[in-house]
Amino acid sequence: MVLETGRVVQASDIGELGTLLAIRAPDIASRARPGQFAHVRPGTGWDPLLRRPYSFCRIDRDGGEIELIVKALGSGGEWIATRRPGDALDLLGPLGTSFVVQRDTRNLLLVAGGTGIAPMRVLAEQEGDRRSVTLLMGGRTIRHLWPSDRLPAAVEYVTTTEDGSFGTRGRVTDVLAELMPWADQIIACGPWPMLAALSRLREDLRRGPATRVGRNALLDAQIAVEQHMGCAMGVCRACVIVTERGNERVCREGPVFGLGDVRFERGEPATVGLDR
Amino acid sequence: MPWRRPRKRVERGGLVRSSPEERIEEAAEDDEASDAVELAALEGASLDEVALGEPTGTAESSLALPLAQALKGVDLPSETTATPKARRARAPRPEIAARPTSRYPIGSLAIDDVDLRVRIGSLELRNPVMPASGCFGWGLDYAELFDPALLGAIVTKGTTPKKRPGNPQYRIAETPSGILNSIGLENPGAEGVARSYAKQWRDIGAPVIVNVAGYSIEDYVFVVRTLADVPGVAAFELNISCPNVDGGMLFGTDPLLAAQVTEAVKAETDLPVIVKLTPNAPDVVAVAMAIESAGADALTCINTMLGMRIDVRRRRPILGTRSGGLSGPAVRPIAVHLTYQVAQRVSIPIIGAGGVTSTEDALEFLMAGASAVQIGTATFADPLAPVRCLEGLAAHVRDARLASIREVIGVALPPKPSSEPDTEYRAE
Ligand SMILES: Cc1cc2nc3c(=O)[nH]c(=O)nc-3n(C[C@H](O)[C@H](O)[C@H](O)COP(=O)(O)O)c2cc1C
Ligand code: FES
Repeated sequence: MVLETGRVVQASDIGELGTLLAIRAPDIASRARPGQFAHVRPGTGWDPLLRRPYSFCRIDRDGGEIELIVKALGSGGEWIATRRPGDALDLLGPLGTSFVVQRDTRNLLLVAGGTGIAPMRVLAEQEGDRRSVTLLMGGRTIRHLWPSDRLPAAVEYVTTTEDGSFGTRGRVTDVLAELMPWADQIIACGPWPMLAALSRLREDLRRGPATRVGRNALLDAQIAVEQHMGCAMGVCRACVIVTERGNERVCREGPVFGLGDVRFERGEPATVGLDR
Repeated sequence: MPWRRPRKRVERGGLVRSSPEERIEEAAEDDEASDAVELAALEGASLDEVALGEPTGTAESSLALPLAQALKGVDLPSETTATPKARRARAPRPEIAARPTSRYPIGSLAIDDVDLRVRIGSLELRNPVMPASGCFGWGLDYAELFDPALLGAIVTKGTTPKKRPGNPQYRIAETPSGILNSIGLENPGAEGVARSYAKQWRDIGAPVIVNVAGYSIEDYVFVVRTLADVPGVAAFELNISCPNVDGGMLFGTDPLLAAQVTEAVKAETDLPVIVKLTPNAPDVVAVAMAIESAGADALTCINTMLGMRIDVRRRRPILGTRSGGLSGPAVRPIAVHLTYQVAQRVSIPIIGAGGVTSTEDALEFLMAGASAVQIGTATFADPLAPVRCLEGLAAHVRDARLASIREVIGVALPPKPSSEPDTEYRAE
């Protein structure tokens, strides 16, 4: 992990997902792995104060570049999203844990919701010509989907939209059953309700017959989660979630967790033990 | 049927378009990866634990310690820094691990030619800059960016007798030039802390000040007793912004309660006892004076101020506990004011805290009567803030041709013939 002043090389509008920033940051690019994130300072002053965590959306080791999807949320997000080519960005990273693609995985299913596409796209680029990869992405409308021309040709792209403006009408979980028998391994990233739905599917499957095809892929699925962060260095404990092992920090023990390890409650991360 | 883009034919499981060398390399990487997953499944351990080869509870230690040791007192440029063993284990790709980490180039930190020493009770600090409690963990997490031994001291997260899970989410919210936090003193408990950090603290290269929290006087005494003999522990800082279970009043808002805690802890240990003032007390100066009379060696001024933010879309407070503690530059003028007020009424040293981001801010506190400063929230934006502040203070001493940093302590206080600010450095 390093502190690096990156240089924006390109800023592209990618619809409702936000702005895609391509940043020259060789030190971080050479260390980053899919699932990890950069903690980006919104400006050089103290208002807004907190850095924003963004999962890598592209890691170009050789070119020394990374890409981040930035939503103009809050004044900090807005500042970062309005950076233009040539602008400097104060980056801390790479931080957190990364996905592990198993060696014997032949069919890799990636599931993305919203800006959760970021690390899925890294995996798609990295794994697309090593094994058979399908990316399943859901969004509210077509404007919430990742543009298909920014995916490697070898990757099969399956989409759902809530308004039916593109692909299947519905959510990723509506299509998942169809793809699961095919998948040797599942990796997912998206908003908490999507992850909670995956967790429910997993629970049903776990209780069901052990012979279901594709069962293991969901039982062993890896997910990356989001949480409000302070330091992202592991010191403040602002970012904890509840897992099978107790409280764990999303910035250190995460953001990648086993789907079966994370505790959910009503579509949200389970509440950390109340004070005293 | 979902919309699909036609699939390009890919050889199943094959490594398309790669040379034999690449194939071997990829196989090796994948090997490590799948081994890790298998191991994790077998042992019931997390992937990260497997990658690190040990439980993550102690992971930071093995990560940070060799760094601290490798660099202590050695003026090496960062490029020659040895790659710590634990890091190598964590990074599955050898070509990443071979790169040295880019730590702050401590060889270039020009602070040794000036006298920055200050005294906090019987504790002599190399310099007056330390982290604020809760913003530096247990001292090891920032070691990848700079050597904690550079700091005047290390201040730990609040430690309670028993392990605490902390508060419900959300625990942090941004405010104008500051943040609200409600972590809830999540910590592994005094014994857990001793177990996890004793070894590293012995070699960390800076005195460790343990921040102590509790809900009864016995709680404070228990933590101090448990940690007093741990090597490296040099002082205790009592966080008295906690509610007292008997009565529910904050220890720090009542002069009598504050004095009682101080006295009980003083009776337990010979190490310096620093008591941290809460700005939420109706009369902070009265509390400070009571703490001094009870025998405290120093004061920290100040802890966070109560505040709240409301999520207008969801129509409810953002923080899980509704209200939380405000910190950062937003509170700095209040903290400087209180330091200035307290400094005129007590003669024990004060450690200023609240919104310090820079050398200039640190000087404000020193001139208001503080002997040292803590930097907390600023570190979240700029992890190097403490180191930059330190360099800046050294430059100030040099440029203003001061004999030592101690010459600025209290210079902004109103003249008081009977008690001139003590700028003498005594080595006893
Ligand atoms: C995330 C966070 C956690 C904190 N935890 C503690 C704590 O455990 N004990 C304590 O005495 N103060 C704690 N504090 C207060 C700080 O030590 C400090 O007094 C306060 O934040 C003001 O300084 P700052 O503006 O530089 O952060 C915490 C502050 C923050 C932001
Ligand atoms: S954000 Fe501070 S511990 Fe994770």
